[in-house]
Amino acid sequence: MLVYRIFKSLIWLYAGLRERVSPGWMQKNSSRIREWELMAYAYSKSPVGVLGGTMVFVVFILAAIGPFISWEPYWEYKIIYDESLRYQPPCLPPWCTDRPIFGTDEWGRDVAAMSLYGFRISFVISIVVVLLGAPLGIVLGLIAGYKGGIVDEIVMRVTDIFLAFPGLVLAIAFASVLPHRIRGFLEENVVARTVLSALFGLREKEYGQLAALISIWFAMVIVWWPGYARIIRGSVLSVREMPFIEAAKLSGLSTWSILFKHILPNVLSPVIVMMTFDIATATLFAAALSFLGLGPQEPVPELGFLISKAGQFFPERSTHVVVYLGLILLTMALGWNLLGDALRDILDPRTRRAIEYREEKEKKG
Amino acid sequence: MGRFIARRIVTFIPTLIGVLLLTYMIAYAIPTDPVRAWVGEKLLNPETLERVREKYKFNAPWYEQFTFFVQQLLTGQLEDPVRHRNVFTEIYSRFTVTVEIAVIGFLFLVAIGLPLGVLAAVKKDSPIDFAVRVMALVGSSLPAFVLYYFLILLLFVYFRTTYLAGIPNVSLACREFISGIPNSVPVLGNVVSAIGSVPMFGAMMCNEWWVVGETFKRFYLPGLALGLLNGGFIARITRNSLLDALSSEYILFAKARGLRKLTVWKHALKNAMVPVVTVLGLNFGGLLSGAIIAETVFNIPGIGRYMYESITRLNFPVIIACTFLIALIYVTVNLIVDILYAVIDPRIRY
Amino acid sequence: MSEAFSLGENEVLRVVDLEVRFYTYAGVVHAVSGVSFYVKEGEAVALVGETGCGKTVTTRAITRLIESPGRIERGMVLFRRRNKKVVDLLKISDEELREIRGNEIAYVFQDPTSALDPLYTIGFHIHETVTAHKSKISRKETLKYAVELLRKVLIPSPEVRVKNYPHEMSGGMRQRSVIAISLSNMPKLLIADEPTTNLDVTIQAQILDLVRRLQGEFKMGIILITHNLGIVAETANRVYVMYAGKVVEEGLVDQVFYNPQHPYTRLLLRSVPNPLRRIEKLESIPGVVPSLINPPKGCRFHPRCPFATGKCIVEDPPGFDIEKDHKTFCWLLEKR
Repeated sequence: MLVYRIFKSLIWLYAGLRERVSPGWMQKNSSRIREWELMAYAYSKSPVGVLGGTMVFVVFILAAIGPFISWEPYWEYKIIYDESLRYQPPCLPPWCTDRPIFGTDEWGRDVAAMSLYGFRISFVISIVVVLLGAPLGIVLGLIAGYKGGIVDEIVMRVTDIFLAFPGLVLAIAFASVLPHRIRGFLEENVVARTVLSALFGLREKEYGQLAALISIWFAMVIVWWPGYARIIRGSVLSVREMPFIEAAKLSGLSTWSILFKHILPNVLSPVIVMMTFDIATATLFAAALSFLGLGPQEPVPELGFLISKAGQFFPERSTHVVVYLGLILLTMALGWNLLGDALRDILDPRTRRAIEYREEKEKKG
Repeated sequence: MGRFIARRIVTFIPTLIGVLLLTYMIAYAIPTDPVRAWVGEKLLNPETLERVREKYKFNAPWYEQFTFFVQQLLTGQLEDPVRHRNVFTEIYSRFTVTVEIAVIGFLFLVAIGLPLGVLAAVKKDSPIDFAVRVMALVGSSLPAFVLYYFLILLLFVYFRTTYLAGIPNVSLACREFISGIPNSVPVLGNVVSAIGSVPMFGAMMCNEWWVVGETFKRFYLPGLALGLLNGGFIARITRNSLLDALSSEYILFAKARGLRKLTVWKHALKNAMVPVVTVLGLNFGGLLSGAIIAETVFNIPGIGRYMYESITRLNFPVIIACTFLIALIYVTVNLIVDILYAVIDPRIRY
Repeated sequence: MSEAFSLGENEVLRVVDLEVRFYTYAGVVHAVSGVSFYVKEGEAVALVGETGCGKTVTTRAITRLIESPGRIERGMVLFRRRNKKVVDLLKISDEELREIRGNEIAYVFQDPTSALDPLYTIGFHIHETVTAHKSKISRKETLKYAVELLRKVLIPSPEVRVKNYPHEMSGGMRQRSVIAISLSNMPKLLIADEPTTNLDVTIQAQILDLVRRLQGEFKMGIILITHNLGIVAETANRVYVMYAGKVVEEGLVDQVFYNPQHPYTRLLLRSVPNPLRRIEKLESIPGVVPSLINPPKGCRFHPRCPFATGKCIVEDPPGFDIEKDHKTFCWLLEKR
């Protein structure tokens, strides 16, 4: 199958590079390469996984090039020139050709063009939150679980305190107090401003709104890490007592080596699945925070914010905005959820065995 | 068992202190001078500013401020500097509203999720099983506010159902009865009274069931949405848990002992419920969050709106009180879940 | 195949030509292929063999405890009920089967911890088992009865233990509780699947003693599954040696142990080390147990048999009598 061949060539590309760097690597890791091939096969055989992966890939492309190919700049308030442009309903050619296909938003801008910016913002935020929050939580959980004693107690108390708040409430609290500070920071620090604006596809001029966006980001990372810390700590506690850890200790490995080379790989599979699902959750969470008004305001076309504005005219005039942007958010989250579902099946050794059998049978028959 | 409960409550307290500290730190992070915002532009003159600063001990070092706030918080005297009313009476009615939405959402969630989960387990790999899987995936991919709008579209525009405005509440007599409970029964009475201050529960205590009905009619829309969003997920958990239980050795042993089919199912269901209860407890936070979002869409005066308004006005004491209260409720719910867990599963009681 | 198709006078169970298959994603597993055996009243019969030879599946099939993807393809399981009626357990209604399970035929599983529902006390387990078969008994009465049962299985302070949950007991006590639960309706046949494998050696001896005593007291038939030949020698009257889903040798314990005829049995007995003799190396049987998805044609042991002939590869051997009550399924015995 096409998907399988794509992944297989990627695997061999990677293996080839590693071999170039350190010769003999392929020989030593041949069983690991085989594992990867099997996982790629299992993935290619899962319609859910391939669908999810494709969706994520498409969203990624749109997020990457969106701000560049958008045909309308987000910073122009069209309604200043023409009041009637506000919330124009969708218009399909060939029946009607004078208005944007999916209609306009509060400021008369083409909703479809705005969504291209929206992809970038939502995608970046969701990925970075999980990629920052998860490792933070994982490392803390590893240390707490492995060291035990007072370190464990302190870390657990702190996570308990953070987990005592429903995520949204804590995020609301942080996201509302941080913008002031961050705005100040962005004012002074030009490098940060340039980099972050480019990252989100915004102009530097909107650094005030960027500050709000960054605050959401921070707030979410703060909300995200305790969950991972708890889970990893639990896994570490059960793995810690196993004989092979004792053997590693006896052979003189340092704590860090044991943590990263022996314990982490064993607790990692469910965490990877969790992270995939979390990216979907983070996408919706960020949109919800913007919806509540804590994120960037106009002119930044953040998806949740646009929906909240449309909500005021719902359902008389703005149904199309809610439906269209809602579907976009749904697609983004659904892609990751499907991917996570498929990954969970792949990484579960039991189901993988079944797939292995099928592969061998296919090879023979 | 009593010892277990006592022990859990004791670990509750340092967490609560930590929560207070964190809340304070959050609010303290506001750099601009909140007092200006409180006093408002009209009364802006140096003496008023100074008086207010004195009152809230802003000129004192941070630990004095902290103890002052904690004191005020715990004695229920915290005052809203903008509205000049006791924060707690303000929060009270709004908070119960949010809780009611969350509770109704919970009821829908259980009513939708559990039966579907059992069905999906019994008819494993059938179209129903597949449908539950799809429901779980879509439910966790759909933003709550979008579903709210969609349901509004469906139910109001197309089906022309209406819902009440206003918040149903119990009679005055009932309210007095509830607030009087702590006088007759000491510690437990306070807990009961607190629960009873939520109109829904208070109505149940006073036998004024029509209030419960009215509350449902008011909040069924967000409740239904919450049930639909999370129902699929709960159904999946229930399904997997039930399948695990059904394939276990003790079920085989039960069949080998010649127990009736119903009895065997009783064993499987009870065991399957253990992880489900945990997940339900963990999910309650999500329900509260969903309720907060619902306030914006349905224009309900709940605590989410209140918090947001006070944030924009830098209303320091209100932020603290709100956050603290929400955390308190959430931690209490977790405590209840833990205790429930211990009731079902004797292994937990250590 | 000249099997008796009826139940002998003093026989309580007779399994005839049982076939069980599992339809898995990897293929069809022929777990049990044409197994026959019988149990007399009051006697202890052992089913011996390596892991995966089909002993457990056979015994579970007796009361139709096989679940999808497994299926009982054919066979007869004749059982004499308490009311002297003889039934084929594979053909009776579900309701009649339920009456027999736990009442006239009882099981003891290998792992006592997973056999017990962790959310219920031992006393409740016994109460359930009793009330499932006798309707009008009060909780108090079953409680008293439970205490007596626990005392019989030598659990100390039974009045306290009866209210314990499984996790509050040690492994040995749990297994004894499971035995007590199984015996609560005084069954005619007890099927014990490796009842001592998960226990300490010292506890093993106690449990076996217990089982022997109770067998005499209740006059129960016992089917004992084990891979431990020492237990067989201690506890059983007759033994069936199984390999790859078939019976390869059957007879009185003394006959099979002192005069083994099937090559597998002989290799098996040789692999048990004698602690009194100094040995240079441990004996084992070369080769691996065959996959039952495509079992070898002919005699299933032929790939590992040092005496395999041409005929063994092609044809499945029938049973050949060696002496009274002693039979083996091997072409080497054909000459006689």
